Amino acid sequence: MENTVYINDQHVEFTSGETILSLLRRQKIGIPTLCDAPNIKPFGSCRVCSVDVALEKDGPSKVQASCHTPVTSGSYVYTHSDRIKKLRKNIVELVLTDYPKERFAADSPKKNSIAWITQEVGIGMADVRYESGETHFNNKPDDSHPYMRANMDACINCYRCIRACDEVQGEMVLTMEGRGFDSKVVIGQNEGFSESECVSCGACSQACPTGAITDVFNSKFNDATEKTRTICTYCGVGCNLKVATKNNEVISITAPYDAEVNGGHTCLKGRYAFKFYNHPERLRSPLIKKDGEFVEASWDEAYDLIATKLSEIKESHGANAIAGISSSRCTNEENYLMQKFMRAVVGTNNIDGCARVCHSPTALGMQRAFGTGAATNSVEDINHTNCMLVIGANPTSAHPVTGAKMKQAAMKGTTLIVVDPRETVLARYANYHLQLRPGTNVALLNMMLYYIIEEGLMDLEFIGSRTEGFDDFQNQILAINIDAMESVTGVKKSLVRDAAIAYASASNAMSFHGLGVTEHSQGTFTVQLIANLAMITGNIGRKGVGVNPLRGQNNVQGAADMGVQPHQGAGYLDFTNPEIHDLYQNYYGVDLPNDVGLKIPEMFDAALDGKLKAMWIMGEDVAQTDPNITKLRKSINNLDFLVVQELFMTETAELADVILPGASFLEKSGTFTNGERRVQRVNRAVPPIEGTKPDGQIVIDMMNRMGYSQPDYAPDTMLEEISQIVPFFKGITWENLAINGKQWPVAEGGVDTKIIHTEEFKIGKGQFAHFDWRESEELETNASEFPYIITTNRDLEHYNCGAMTRRTGNVDIVTEDVLLINIEDAQSNGIADGDMICVTSARGKVDIKAKISDAVKPGVMSTTFHFPEIMVNLLTSDVHDSEAKCPEYKVVAAKIRKSKGEVREVVG
Amino acid sequence: MSENLRALSNRKGLDKNLFEQLVDRSKGEGTPSNEVLKSLAHEYLMGEAITYGVSSFYDFLKEEHRGVKVHVCNGSACLLAGTQDSLKEKLVDNFEENQISHMCCLGRCHENSAFNYGAKNYSGKDIDQLSGIIDSKVNSLKDSYTVGSQLDQPVLTGNPMSAEDFVQAFKQLNSKGADQVLSELKASNIRGRGGAGFPMGFKIESCKNIEADQKYIVCNADEGDPGAYSDRYLLEHQPMLVLFGMMTSGFIAGANKGVLYIRGEYPEAIEIVTNAIKELEAIGMHGANIVGTDFEFKFKVIEGAGAYVCGEETALLSSVEGQRPEVRVRPPYPTQEGLFGKPTIVNNVETLASIPWILKNGGSAYASLGTDKSTGTKLICLDSFFINPGVYEVEMGIPFKEVIYEIGGGFKQAVKAVHVGGPLGGIVPISEIENLNLDFESFQNGGFLLGHAGIVSIPERFPMIDYLEHLFQFTADESCGKCYPCRIGSVRGREMITNSKNGDSKIDKELLDDLLETMEVGSLCALGGGLPLGVRNALQYFKDELNQHIKQE
Ligand SMILES: Cc1cc2nc3c(=O)[nH]c(=O)nc-3n(C[C@H](O)[C@H](O)[C@H](O)COP(=O)(O)O)c2cc1C
Ligand code: SF4
Ligand code: SF4
Ligand code: SF4
Ligand code: FES
Repeated sequence: MENTVYINDQHVEFTSGETILSLLRRQKIGIPTLCDAPNIKPFGSCRVCSVDVALEKDGPSKVQASCHTPVTSGSYVYTHSDRIKKLRKNIVELVLTDYPKERFAADSPKKNSIAWITQEVGIGMADVRYESGETHFNNKPDDSHPYMRANMDACINCYRCIRACDEVQGEMVLTMEGRGFDSKVVIGQNEGFSESECVSCGACSQACPTGAITDVFNSKFNDATEKTRTICTYCGVGCNLKVATKNNEVISITAPYDAEVNGGHTCLKGRYAFKFYNHPERLRSPLIKKDGEFVEASWDEAYDLIATKLSEIKESHGANAIAGISSSRCTNEENYLMQKFMRAVVGTNNIDGCARVCHSPTALGMQRAFGTGAATNSVEDINHTNCMLVIGANPTSAHPVTGAKMKQAAMKGTTLIVVDPRETVLARYANYHLQLRPGTNVALLNMMLYYIIEEGLMDLEFIGSRTEGFDDFQNQILAINIDAMESVTGVKKSLVRDAAIAYASASNAMSFHGLGVTEHSQGTFTVQLIANLAMITGNIGRKGVGVNPLRGQNNVQGAADMGVQPHQGAGYLDFTNPEIHDLYQNYYGVDLPNDVGLKIPEMFDAALDGKLKAMWIMGEDVAQTDPNITKLRKSINNLDFLVVQELFMTETAELADVILPGASFLEKSGTFTNGERRVQRVNRAVPPIEGTKPDGQIVIDMMNRMGYSQPDYAPDTMLEEISQIVPFFKGITWENLAINGKQWPVAEGGVDTKIIHTEEFKIGKGQFAHFDWRESEELETNASEFPYIITTNRDLEHYNCGAMTRRTGNVDIVTEDVLLINIEDAQSNGIADGDMICVTSARGKVDIKAKISDAVKPGVMSTTFHFPEIMVNLLTSDVHDSEAKCPEYKVVAAKIRKSKGEVREVVG
Repeated sequence: MSENLRALSNRKGLDKNLFEQLVDRSKGEGTPSNEVLKSLAHEYLMGEAITYGVSSFYDFLKEEHRGVKVHVCNGSACLLAGTQDSLKEKLVDNFEENQISHMCCLGRCHENSAFNYGAKNYSGKDIDQLSGIIDSKVNSLKDSYTVGSQLDQPVLTGNPMSAEDFVQAFKQLNSKGADQVLSELKASNIRGRGGAGFPMGFKIESCKNIEADQKYIVCNADEGDPGAYSDRYLLEHQPMLVLFGMMTSGFIAGANKGVLYIRGEYPEAIEIVTNAIKELEAIGMHGANIVGTDFEFKFKVIEGAGAYVCGEETALLSSVEGQRPEVRVRPPYPTQEGLFGKPTIVNNVETLASIPWILKNGGSAYASLGTDKSTGTKLICLDSFFINPGVYEVEMGIPFKEVIYEIGGGFKQAVKAVHVGGPLGGIVPISEIENLNLDFESFQNGGFLLGHAGIVSIPERFPMIDYLEHLFQFTADESCGKCYPCRIGSVRGREMITNSKNGDSKIDKELLDDLLETMEVGSLCALGGGLPLGVRNALQYFKDELNQHIKQE
């Protein structure tokens, strides 16, 4: 009789520990609830979920709230006894005594829980027997915020918003004020959304059953006619979105609760920043530059011009005088097409993607160590790890939903080590914050490795059976000068030692890294050292461990997987190997080049040298986001021909000869692959804006125009083509991706993989490699004249160049780039908070507003690059990672002075 | 209850306790400023809303408490005694209206006219010396009440335990060992004195059986029931009994920290207990290596801030954690997941204070006192309507009329009912007194509740409808506000009664019955769930008096 219970006298099995409500739901027995919600813990405030429970048949029964009461084996549960039905009705009657009548009349039972529950329990406003008494009406609505809205007249004190803000987002912006009948939900210290610490994630708005807290789009309560499930375009987390549309227009976005990735949560970019898509500034026609002016053209005109130009250049300078840059913003299918176009149609391996400027060192470093350039584990492992090591990443801003999960775990006590020059949000919650000088990651990780060896905390069994090169590595590490490294990093060695011990002695330790690792001259080396940390402690191949890069853009992983890189084709196969080369040639049915192509920085060097004549850039604003843009612009101006595929007239598009108007993620279908190798379906929510085309279709049009027959763009047939050449996509079909996608490698039959390298590494044995720290060339050359170090980062509210987010309500939240500066540095330069300061590097200078902050140490400053007005990338250097050629955005030698107000100027 | 807040608060734990910080920072101004609340929130890595929401919950922390200097008792006993209006008139001469606020029961129910000024309580004739009190010229005022016992060997009211007795008792405890002492406690069959009557031995045993790196013993000294001041007596006059009881609990269960949550309305008790702990500290009976053993135990006194519901054990735990003291769902029970998520035993002051006697005389000796199911002795508190007001220790099971008429000596003026067991207890009409014995079962079978056994007399002259209004108002004021039946129901109930009193409309009996049933079975805790008992008693026994307020079909 273990785990059996009688529900309305029917014999039923239950799962140990489950609540009565969860069992009833599985039995499809409808129980009304008000305070219960899918992604927060049972709370027990409304009591309308009550049921009768007796310990024996016809024995005395007790009323229990089903949402939080565990099932008792052998008990008798009655869900609709007379007294329970009456109780529910009487509770709802009490609720109605404090619910606005006009509002009740207007509420729809499909959307509003009060309207719904009154139907369920059979009571209406007119049935309320109490005389009118005290109420909570006539609150002042809060419309102070660009997105969030509150009108507490409709609040029923269910605490769902408060719990969502705490348990889901972890921000704790909302609370009850007062007690008893007087208690009411307040925002911050009762100051309204815009003055509060709210990060506009919208979790409260999605949780609220009555719309007392909602948003400008009234997301849960508007009159959408259709809902489409798709994937967010903003970052590598890959949140699932439910896009509500009406008359082919997007009117709001919510987050599906059954999404494995984000379980009903998103950040403000995913939920609210969609208004860019039909912004008046969207490009709506191909444009051809004639006499320095863009004029509208037909697609045919544009295609003809491009075909002619490219053919001419190919004829006279060879195919390698042409290069393409693909986009991590686009779908896998589009990326696959772009590289296929460059290789099979144009005939060059000069194809690279924006991953070059972010995670190329990750791909390379992890391939060298493990054989696969992708996260070893899944994000859900955060719930199974004992220690998180976060290096050079600020996930609460850049990967907000993953960041929220990490913060949740850290708050609850999972050990957290943060390696970052800035005091990020996570650093505040960290057990160990190693606040190193920018550019010294290698030194710091070597110190950690040193202490792990010195303390004898290695996993010798793992090292012995699964790795190679440890003995040499150990000797080299033990030879480092630990005191010298201490002064180089500026982090006390005792602190590093404690952190190293914490990481090495945790039963499961997991690392995460971001662009603070890769965007350095020693980026690839740093990634390899992170891999060493995992290998030396045996933290590979099971739940709650591993090396987990936090991928920047939504499809960085996918773009690389699809072959958007000059040295490997689709599926990371090495085409310099003749067998592989044949494989590709057979598959594409044409002759293919087999010489390794140019990486992005090499492309621009080649353009400057006059060797590269034409470029095709899909969806990337290199002229705002790439480093040292002065030099970059010169390179582009030196080209004979530039094609840009874009949504908006970006800084890069301005420089183009032909602009082709692409379509946003809302207007096309395909797949994105998130940072945990999860391939997920992107579904078109609205048709492309008139005059635009999905980027994949544009590429296909050009392929056909240039003589290669490629069928029209459709995600299912494209996936079929891809799955036959990309080995780890073998088992993927459009159908079997279903709602939550699959994590590659996906074997035939559709079995996917949450954790890789469980038995052995892709390359057999894991490879240890040692690297000595080297000062960045930028500092070696310029530090004497430019004594401060500027490092760049991102805000939560904006996405990269801001082309999209600046065209949404997000600009009303964060309006400009600012420079964070320590009070010491500010004082010694006579700078006050909010002053404009002039920042000069060896490349150029900009004026930017100072924000005094203790998030940075003296000597270090930090800024974002979302706004073209400031053009922070006038400052950044063209030093690159020695291996993967990723630019060093994170270290700029600079000097500062209080400015007189000019905005930007180019030196030299 | 927020797991996050609990964990963040636990980063500083009891040593630099967040709630204690809030209470400390309210002294002076009467409320912590928004800046202080923000900086505390930052320090504890919480949202700025959190500390704001927490402090708004408590009578002595909330913004409305700014500048308050003097508090007038508005508890049932003082209300029924009718002393507070004239008291307030005298205060108004010396204080601005906004400097005067309320406290609900100062434990001076034996002489009333109770008020609190400058962290001290006053009652009886003290008000006549108000100017001396304000000038600090009068500072030796103490209340006095009879303390009596029927027993040869009192459990709770004997000669106070001294520090030396404490050492000896600990040696005895140590030599008997945890298991034997636990079986004595189980044999004694002692049940919790805080109201619910849960067997103490079970609680300690289940906590003992859970493996954990940290456990806590919590002494519930939030004695909020108006009419009850027996815990106050124990804290002020028998503090060592309470402390030793806690240490014994810790010794058995494997807990090394003991928290005494003492209500802010008892400033003297806080001071006396704090001094008693210092005394123990001075002789090495506090902290590590007690009497050279490897046993460690540390006490921590937490001062309450004016919220009746903090006596409810889960609300109390949230309060200590610096969260809003809203009642938690159970399971998990405190013995599984209590203070800061660790196994915790919460016991009432009186329950704990009985432990030394049991240790000394044995469990069966204790069990031989009282009845089968209600063993031992019980403290009862008699208010000022009795000829002999005071705190008395009686054996469980003695006839209730003996308590009222012999020990109490009967009433000074005509009384129609006694309210036993606090505001959530039952209203016993004079006619029923002879049918009851003073034990858990007898009261329950009679349709009443023994509870904590404070006894408040309702005089003939006091309209029952006013008393019911007071009870609903009390519940509305003190409801934590979490669950719907109590939060909304208590106010709607009070409104129904007020409307009927004002002649606006009479009470719809069916609706009132529905409301009582909704609160009784629907509420999350015994605050909303307990109120209906007394109201029903009144409706049953005082029909004639109340009928005029009820709509007749
Ligand atoms: C609203 C409410 C108030 C309470 N107040 C007190 C109190 O002041 N003191 C107390 O010991 N128990 C109080 N209790 C009971 C406690 O929740 C808990 O049962 C008791 O502390 C357990 O100790 P015991 O087993 O020793 O009685 C209260 C319960 C409720 C529902
Ligand atoms: S939007 Fe997010 S951060 Fe803001 S109050 Fe709501 S849940 Fe909290
Ligand atoms: S605002 Fe909405 S979610 Fe929050 S307590 Fe009120 S009704 Fe519930
Ligand atoms: S019954 Fe009252 S005090 Fe108890 S949980 Fe409900 S609202 Fe809070
Ligand atoms: S759903 Fe169970 S109490 Fe609200």
